[in-house]
Amino acid sequence: MMWTNDLDEPLTCEVVAKTVGARRSLVVRLAQQGLIESVEGGADEPLVPRRVVMQLRRMQRLRRDLGVNFAGAAIILDLVQRIEELNRELVEMQRRFE
Amino acid sequence: MAKTKDYYDVLGVKRDASEDDIKKAYRKLARKFHPDLNPGDKAAEEQFKVLQEAYDVLSNAEDRKLYDQYGENWRAVKAGAGAPPPGWQGAGRSTREGGAQGFDFGDFDFNSFRSAGTDAAGFDIFEELFGGGAGRGRATRSGRGRDVEAELELSLEEAHRGGRRTLQMQADEPKTIEVNIPQGVRDGSMIRLPGQGGSGSNGGEPGDLYLHIRLRPHPVFTVKGDDLETEMAIAPWEAVLGAKVEAPTIEGKVELTVPPGAKSGQRLRLRGLGLNKRTGGRGDEYVRLKIVVPKDVNAEERRLYEELKRVSRFDPRK
Repeated sequence: MMWTNDLDEPLTCEVVAKTVGARRSLVVRLAQQGLIESVEGGADEPLVPRRVVMQLRRMQRLRRDLGVNFAGAAIILDLVQRIEELNRELVEMQRRFE
Repeated sequence: MAKTKDYYDVLGVKRDASEDDIKKAYRKLARKFHPDLNPGDKAAEEQFKVLQEAYDVLSNAEDRKLYDQYGENWRAVKAGAGAPPPGWQGAGRSTREGGAQGFDFGDFDFNSFRSAGTDAAGFDIFEELFGGGAGRGRATRSGRGRDVEAELELSLEEAHRGGRRTLQMQADEPKTIEVNIPQGVRDGSMIRLPGQGGSGSNGGEPGDLYLHIRLRPHPVFTVKGDDLETEMAIAPWEAVLGAKVEAPTIEGKVELTVPPGAKSGQRLRLRGLGLNKRTGGRGDEYVRLKIVVPKDVNAEERRLYEELKRVSRFDPRK
C-alpha cells in the first residue's frame, strides 16, 4: 500500500459531484461563492482540490442532520477547525506550565 | 447484546410527540453531539449514534409504529421474524421491566451491520455511520463503496521520520492494511488511501480511506509548523559567562552554545534541526532558555554569592 499525496490534486466539479452524490451545478456554485476551496480551471469552471471532497461531505451532513445551509455549514467547519487548533494550543500550554 | 435504549428517552420526548417535536428534539441534541462539531470526541460520537438511531426510527411513521408496538424487537418483526408470541409485552417495555412471561430477542444481533471502532495501533474509525454519498448509510447509485474516515495517532518521531504502519481495520469486513506514513505529516494532516474504504456494490469500485493524523503531545518538544520548540534550564553563571550545553533534538543530542549574557526566555535557533518538511528540507528548532537558581547552596557557594553581591554593580530593577 502506497501513500498517495494527492489531496491537492485538482478535480473537475463533475468528478467531485459524482463522488459525493451531488449535482455538478451545486459544486460549481459552492466553488464560485467561495464556500469550498477551488483553483483556477482551464475551462469555464473552477477545479476543486481533492481535499474538498471530505469538506463537502461534512457540509452535506450538517445540512442533512442540522438543517443548516451550505453557507452556514462552511462557517461552522471553519469555526470547528479554529476551536480544534485553539484546544491543541491550550493543551500544549497547560502541559508546559505543569 | 446490550439492551437498546428507549428511543423516546434518547430524544427526550413523550411517546405521543408529533413529528415536529421529534425533529426539533433531534436537531437540538444533534447540535450538541454531531461528530462534525466534536471531532475526536468518542463520547459525543457514541451519543450521536444512539441519537441517530432513535431519530431514524421515530421519524419514519412505519418504523415508529412497529417500535411503539414491539419495542426494541421491532427490527426482527420488520425483518420477517413475525410478531412475538402471546404474553409478550409490547411498547418497548417488556425486556426492561423483565416480566416473567417476557419474550426477549436478546441474542439476535440487530446491530451487526454496525461495525466496531478501534485497534491496538491507535487507529480509530470514527465515521462509519455516515454514508459515502448524500444518503445516510446507503450506497450511492453508482454502487461505489463508502469512503471511510479514521484517526491515526502518531508520535512526533513517527511523523518526523515517516515509516510503515500496519493497521487493523473493521469497516465492512475486518482487514489489515499497511500504510506508508510519509515523513513530514503534521497534526491535522490527512492521508488518502484509494480503494481502502467500504466495498462497492454490484461491481462498483471501493471507497477510499481517509486517515486524519493526530500527533501525541511530546514530553520535550512543542510543534510550531515545521519548527520545534523546547525549554532548557541553565545556571545563572552559564547565563552570565556563556556555556556549551547538550540540547535535545528530534534526532538526538547536539552541542548548543549559550552566549555570554543570555537572558531567561531568550530563544536560540538550531537551524535545520526541526521537523522534516513534506516538500523536503527541515524546519528549525528553538531552544528557550530558562535561568534557574539552586534551591540549596553550600557554605562555599553562599560565600561566593555574598562576594558577588558585594562587588557587583548590577541592579536588575534599573
